[in-house]
Amino acid sequence: MASVVKSALKAIRERGVGTFLKELKEEGYTKCLLDGNLLQTKIHNIGARLVGTDKFGNKYYEKLEDTQFGRHRWVEYAEKDRYNASQVPPEWHGWLHFITDRTGDELLMLKPKRYGVEHKQNFSGEGDEHIYHSKGHALNPGQRDWTRYQPWQPTKT
Amino acid sequence: MGLGLLASKALKPTASRLLSSQNPRSLLFLSRTVTSTPELQKPEQAAQAQPEPTPDLPPRTPLAGARVHFPNPDDAIEVFVDGYPVKIPKGMTVLQACEVAGVDIPRFCYHSRLSIAGNCRMCLVEVEKSPKPVASCAMPALPGMKIKTDTPIAKKAREGVMEFLLMNHPLDCPICDQGGECDLQDQSMAFGSDRGRFTEMKRSVVDKNLGPLVKTVMTRCIQCTRCVRFATEVAGVQDLGMLGRGSGEEIGTYVEKLMTSELSGNVIDICPVGALTSKPFAFKARNWELKGTETIDVTDAVGSNIRIDSRGPEVMRIIPRLNEDINEEWISDKTRFCYDGLKRQRLNDPMIRGADGRFKPVSWRDALAVVAEIAHQVKPEEIVGVAGQLSDAESMMALKDFLNKLGSNNVWCEKNGMFHDADLRSGYLMNTSISDLEKADVFLLVGTQPRVEAAMVNARIRKTVRATHAKVGYIGPPADFNYDHEHLGTGPQTLKEIAEGRHSFSSALSNAKNPVIIVGAGLFNRKDKDAIFSAVEAIAKSAKAVRPDWNGLNVLLLSAGQAAALDLGLVPESENCLESAKFVYLMGADDVNLENIPKDAFVVYQGHHGDQGVYRANVVLPAAAFSEKEGTYENTEGCTQQTVPAVPTVGDARDDWKIIRALSEVAGVRLPYDTLTAIRSRIKTVAPNLLHVDEREPATFSTSLKPQSNQELSSEPFGTAIENFYMTDSITRASKIMAQCSALLLKK
Amino acid sequence: MLARLAASRFLEIRQVFRQVKKILSHYPSNYKQSAVIPLLDLAQQQHGGWLPVSAMNASCNILFNKIIEVAPIRVYEVATFYSMFNRSKVGKYHLLVCGTTPCMIRGAREIEDALLKHLGVKRNEVTKDGLFSVGETECMGCCVNAPMITVADYSNGSEGYTYNYYEDITPKRVVEIVELLRKGEKLPPGTQNPGRIKSGPEGGNTTLLSEPKPPPCRDLDAC
Repeated sequence: MASVVKSALKAIRERGVGTFLKELKEEGYTKCLLDGNLLQTKIHNIGARLVGTDKFGNKYYEKLEDTQFGRHRWVEYAEKDRYNASQVPPEWHGWLHFITDRTGDELLMLKPKRYGVEHKQNFSGEGDEHIYHSKGHALNPGQRDWTRYQPWQPTKT
Repeated sequence: MGLGLLASKALKPTASRLLSSQNPRSLLFLSRTVTSTPELQKPEQAAQAQPEPTPDLPPRTPLAGARVHFPNPDDAIEVFVDGYPVKIPKGMTVLQACEVAGVDIPRFCYHSRLSIAGNCRMCLVEVEKSPKPVASCAMPALPGMKIKTDTPIAKKAREGVMEFLLMNHPLDCPICDQGGECDLQDQSMAFGSDRGRFTEMKRSVVDKNLGPLVKTVMTRCIQCTRCVRFATEVAGVQDLGMLGRGSGEEIGTYVEKLMTSELSGNVIDICPVGALTSKPFAFKARNWELKGTETIDVTDAVGSNIRIDSRGPEVMRIIPRLNEDINEEWISDKTRFCYDGLKRQRLNDPMIRGADGRFKPVSWRDALAVVAEIAHQVKPEEIVGVAGQLSDAESMMALKDFLNKLGSNNVWCEKNGMFHDADLRSGYLMNTSISDLEKADVFLLVGTQPRVEAAMVNARIRKTVRATHAKVGYIGPPADFNYDHEHLGTGPQTLKEIAEGRHSFSSALSNAKNPVIIVGAGLFNRKDKDAIFSAVEAIAKSAKAVRPDWNGLNVLLLSAGQAAALDLGLVPESENCLESAKFVYLMGADDVNLENIPKDAFVVYQGHHGDQGVYRANVVLPAAAFSEKEGTYENTEGCTQQTVPAVPTVGDARDDWKIIRALSEVAGVRLPYDTLTAIRSRIKTVAPNLLHVDEREPATFSTSLKPQSNQELSSEPFGTAIENFYMTDSITRASKIMAQCSALLLKK
Repeated sequence: MLARLAASRFLEIRQVFRQVKKILSHYPSNYKQSAVIPLLDLAQQQHGGWLPVSAMNASCNILFNKIIEVAPIRVYEVATFYSMFNRSKVGKYHLLVCGTTPCMIRGAREIEDALLKHLGVKRNEVTKDGLFSVGETECMGCCVNAPMITVADYSNGSEGYTYNYYEDITPKRVVEIVELLRKGEKLPPGTQNPGRIKSGPEGGNTTLLSEPKPPPCRDLDAC
């Protein structure tokens, strides 16, 4: 704990109080006061190794010493206010869930280039605009024309 | 009731069938090793129930309506199929005997309606004392033959044949239109190996161009020659043949040639693989996505039994249904490929022509109000109603009742023309019935070209001519026939000569056992119609064509609505009512003389297609097509059949009779029926035979009761009733495929 | 061109109408369509060794439709099935080299090579002067005198048509045969080995030199 305070003081000294507070806010430390999960993650991060960062900005940590096996890998989400597990892209999923020891950056090399859509987090419960509607659904903006006949056009006379 | 009708009834799921499936003994059939049956628990009862020496064999039901008809009971022989004895008439093949015994033999080349080729070798079975497996489709069953269909030898033989068939068959089931309904696919699931030993290159064959209807992928062909035999025997166009030999063997025409038969679509059905598939249906849908609706066809007067395969709101294809009495298992190309007309040029909103001559969509309420108001403004005798050729009996009944309530009786069905005499049903029906045409030995066709007017009737005549060498005489303009015929003359003069016995053909007629005279309905529009009919009756009398056991005097109608219209008494009161009309109600009528309607007349067109009638109409009321409504139709032989809705109606369209019912209420002359059942009970009071669905109601009285007419025969030769086989009504005229056909296939 | 050809063919066929009649007389009246093979053969001889569609259509079918009533496609089926009916142009002398196993072992390949090299054509090709073409045939049953070639001579129409076997040939001899044919000389068919008589062994018989012994029989009296 002492080292944490020491490094914080060092940062204030080097960059000034304003910058330090701004950084605190950016890193989500201000949110910690209200969000226990985030606070716990931040405390966990102390002394842990940053394994990688994915394209969304989620940070993946690992700490092999002094942690219970099975709790030694975790993620700190890029979004601090609304985060959920579906924000983890597939390449990192395996590493995070102990399926593989390859990190997401390594797995990204193996991903075929020709196909595959971008990872999208699950927006369920986030409002109608985020919900997936099938191509014939009435709420789908790009709704198909299901008229299967051609009406007679009264053009002539 | 014919045997065929019996068989087709037997095919329907009936209560007795459901009961029999609960029979524990038929469960035994599924797994023969199971022995715990109720009979075993009560042995004394079981002994009583099964006195036969083969107690362990379950009773078998013949396959797919296979029926045993003993022409001569003495000729019955007994064979054993897998130990189960069956009695069959002499001359049946081993394969047919197995079918009677309820054993399905795999086959590709064998087709019950075609000649036997015996070249696919798939139907090999073991016969006791025969050194080799026997091709069962070509082997006549002999008395006491012991046929074994599930022995290792038979199985091995089939597996071997299947391996050879698959050797050169491409593995393109996923992109093949036959996939899912392919005989080869099904049978390779049963008899095929899961791996092949063939490592060489598969052969490939150049695709042939057979026209706009049949798509060919000749590499898939397994050389069963069903199409060759169909074209030669049923369709009567000797175009297809088996060319080359060995692995270079292919189906083709040798010289580039389109298949110009009106039955060519049937080769799609009989092809056991995906070599011949439907061109308009290609890559449109998979057969398991389709909903089948068993209904009937209305594009001609035959009323072929069809199945409309639909996906969602769309008719995807039309395929035939078995009906031995009407269309056997074929349908004409017009029936099969007219369906894209159902999706084009549809009327989907009520429309009123404004003062500027343009149509404006309006609501039903407004449209009906306008029509009702005009109908009250004109004198009752100036009101005229014309039913179209595709009208069902219900809507014609409603139309007639509606106009009668308004005070007019000028209502008729187009194509019937001013046919006044609807009193005698025998005067407008095919009295012989379509299936009994096969018993005829001499045909006299008067002013009719059955090949274009009713292709299925023509197929029957051809079948008869092929089987019994029946003579065919034809009076009319030069026409296309696909069987041997004698062109006797072109007009009524020849008819008169035959009637008076001066013609050489009259001796053939009088010597005939079962003569058939077919008069075309195209003659209904002639001025000297009565004279022609009395001349025909004179011929029938001298040829003894009308007897208690045989009625050979027929009229071949042109369209689906005609027979029911005449049954319901839709005949106009005065001959030139159309010329003096002020209010014309066209119920799908496009082929009336629209020029004869006076300029100031108010024309209401109720129909489903924007065809000729719409251009003269003041108000357009959208109605449902035959694929979208339940309606009763009577075919040319007097058989009543009903259509079943396969797809929903388009837009704001409504059933024909409902529109008239609503209109009657707006007009203040409410018709007393609100449901289809109610309107049918109204029909029952006029023509009870229209309620006997799927039954042929023969005419009770012969035409001899008709009073003699003293009309003079005119010398004007007979005309052709149908100029273009592919385009006869509003649906087929809207169809792109039919337009292609008439452009390509009718080109001489 | 084809129509004129067909017309001239037709006239020629009219000239051999008696031949057609004779062929048809071999078949019962209800099986007249069986005459299709001899008639096609006749047409092929008339037409210089091959059957164009026009010949099948115009000459054969006019006759067939009039006399034995079969559809054109039935004729095409037969003509395409049998390899003896040539559907592409052949030379006046159509040389068929037997390629079946015994002949092949005895050097049919070399004979064909020699022929093709001498004539300067590929297989199934006609020489520029239209005299020769080389094809392959299956076993003709002369295996005892292998290798052999068959010469179908279409130079004299159907009257002078011959179909001769030349057996026991060598690459040298086959070139000689071609040259003799080119000169129009008649050469005796059969074995080309002067030392042999028909299928007999070279240099006279080696067996059956005396009266053969009767086969050992059972003693019938002992039964």
